[in-house]
Amino acid sequence: MAVLSLDRLSKRFGARLAVDAVSFEVQERQVFGLLGPNGSGKSTILRLVTGYLYPSAGTARVAGIDVVRSARAARERIGYVPEDSPLYGHMRVVEYLSFMGRLRGITGSALDRAIDAAVERLALGSVRRTIIERLSRGYRQRVSLAQAVLHRPELLVLDEPSNGLDPRQIIELRGLLRHLAQDCAVLVTSHILAEIERTADQVAILLDGRLLTVEPIAHETVAAPAPSPLEALFLELTRAKAMQ
Amino acid sequence: MASPAVSQVATLVGKEVRTLFTSPIAYAVIAVFVVLSGYTFTVSLIVAKQATLVHIFFQSAVQLILLVPLITMRQFAEERRSGTLQLLLTAPLREIDIVAAKFIACMVVLLAMTSLTLVYAAVLAAYGDPDWGPIYSGYLGLVMLGAALVAIGLMISALTANQIVAAVVSLGLFGILWSIDTLASLLPQPFENWLLGLSLLAHLTPFAVGAMYLSDVGFFVTVILLGLFLTVRALARR
Repeated sequence: MAVLSLDRLSKRFGARLAVDAVSFEVQERQVFGLLGPNGSGKSTILRLVTGYLYPSAGTARVAGIDVVRSARAARERIGYVPEDSPLYGHMRVVEYLSFMGRLRGITGSALDRAIDAAVERLALGSVRRTIIERLSRGYRQRVSLAQAVLHRPELLVLDEPSNGLDPRQIIELRGLLRHLAQDCAVLVTSHILAEIERTADQVAILLDGRLLTVEPIAHETVAAPAPSPLEALFLELTRAKAMQ
Repeated sequence: MASPAVSQVATLVGKEVRTLFTSPIAYAVIAVFVVLSGYTFTVSLIVAKQATLVHIFFQSAVQLILLVPLITMRQFAEERRSGTLQLLLTAPLREIDIVAAKFIACMVVLLAMTSLTLVYAAVLAAYGDPDWGPIYSGYLGLVMLGAALVAIGLMISALTANQIVAAVVSLGLFGILWSIDTLASLLPQPFENWLLGLSLLAHLTPFAVGAMYLSDVGFFVTVILLGLFLTVRALARR
């Protein structure tokens, strides 16, 4: 069964049809990319899938559960990182993860284990007790991802996760996405073609709210592809700064 | 053992209370409230030599009108502006859970603020023989007024992403609801009675002087429930 299935999903804002009868499916352990220019409806689709917006027509199902009719059950199966990774900046990393875990109904020793696992997966050990607003953009993105995988979701929804990251952080994020996709399906948006091409197994291209095509992308390995020569040079030259 | 929904609301209340008390706003609001009410208490005690808190209740009500918008303004507006509202609304919570948590957190600040004035009642008890009826009813009226203001303030905060706009609109609406009886007196019947029925001052006055009517309790309860309902609707409209 598909982890996510959209059936003629539509969203209208007043007179403007932001998403026009979009249908596609995302399978288990698949990285599914949504590509399109700004305003093509990518973020709106993610907001409809996560329940932040309600559809004007059509359905979205996560693991067979309607995201509107059984919102709570569907949301328990979704991890979401909105665009620009909003966080509570005054909290410490572990405090924030604990808060988000409790909101998702994880308590006691299960919560401690979930936080430890997320911190390890996202390599957040060194900043565990740091106040979030003091973290770099890359670490904040990791904290956002950590809260999204805390409850081991079946579907991870990421809206423009590479926005504002420097080249090193983008390369690291690429590896992280492939790593996270070993446990769940990932639905990710970007307007950067190269990023989607390097991380996604399948890509949907949108224009003006309409789905133009869904195409598979072949990868030689399940891991993230090796950096390009320019990326390798950049990583080498900036390693000292990154180690600080 | 608490149900998951109760536990989630408790988590959210804890976070909201910590957020309010980690910002200087709550401390500034409480300090201003206590200093001004302390000044009024001292003056009324020394000048009027009356063992009563009636002046305190009326002045505290005006202070609540001025200060509650500072507590409620950021509750939804700031979450919407920073994008964290998306995290809350996509978590396995209902809108009513989020609204209830914000309401309870604001009430914690409000109760902390008003409870500090209990020291004036203690002073009256120590050095005089106050009539406790108006004191009990006055505090009940003050808390109900505060809860009604919080509910309206949350509703306005849920409608905007700008906390200054939320504060200014709340302040304006509170001011109108407080003094609407002045306008009512200029109108013919039955409009006068209709507007008087909306006046916060008209419904608080009986509490402050020791008379409790079910109609006044019903008014405040209605405003609280209507405010919270409209806040939920504002969040659900997406």
